[in-house]
Amino acid sequence: MARARKVFFRRRKVCKFCADKIDYIDYKDVKLLQQFIPERSKILPRRISGTCANHQRPLQQAIKRARHLALIPFTTD
Amino acid sequence: MRTYELMFVVDPRVADEDVVTMTQEYKNMIAAGGSQITGEENWGRRKLAYPINKLNEGKYVLLYIGSEGGKTALPEVEHRMRQNDKILRYLTVRTDEDLKRAARRQPAGGAAAPAAPQGASEEREAPPPAAQEEEA
Repeated sequence: MARARKVFFRRRKVCKFCADKIDYIDYKDVKLLQQFIPERSKILPRRISGTCANHQRPLQQAIKRARHLALIPFTTD
Repeated sequence: MRTYELMFVVDPRVADEDVVTMTQEYKNMIAAGGSQITGEENWGRRKLAYPINKLNEGKYVLLYIGSEGGKTALPEVEHRMRQNDKILRYLTVRTDEDLKRAARRQPAGGAAAPAAPQGASEEREAPPPAAQEEEA
């Protein structure tokens, strides 16, 4: 039986912060953070966004700070 | 030098002038504790991402603070903010270490970092600066 081989073209994911050379992730930069909170307002996982570990950590911190100040939501209902 | 950012959200029913007086009070406390205010931003009324105390809006104020040596008045300021029920939220963040790390990674100078808070504040809707000075 010939197995149908599917060829996937997977776009290589690049860490946005490395590409754009953003070294300080500011919790006040709502526009930037919004790109990493999809519909349910959860933090987008690294495996989806492609963010590197070194940037995901400060990103996570920034999102949590912004949530505390009600700049971005914890959840959408 | 240690740098901090202190951001707080005030009840939108508080008048703008009272927000300025309140801010001035905290600034005086910080100054009395031996730190300098290096910048100030007034974001004005802004919609909250979720209701706090059944309020849907808040007035955002942001202070940039620089401090030489270990002691600051920040713990007392935070204590006062916690007791003030006109303040919905506050957050103090120490920024010097992260900014330094960012600057090291990009020696040409981090344009994205809020290195010049005074310049940034002009873009925001700020109350006329003259009004603030009168309060002082």
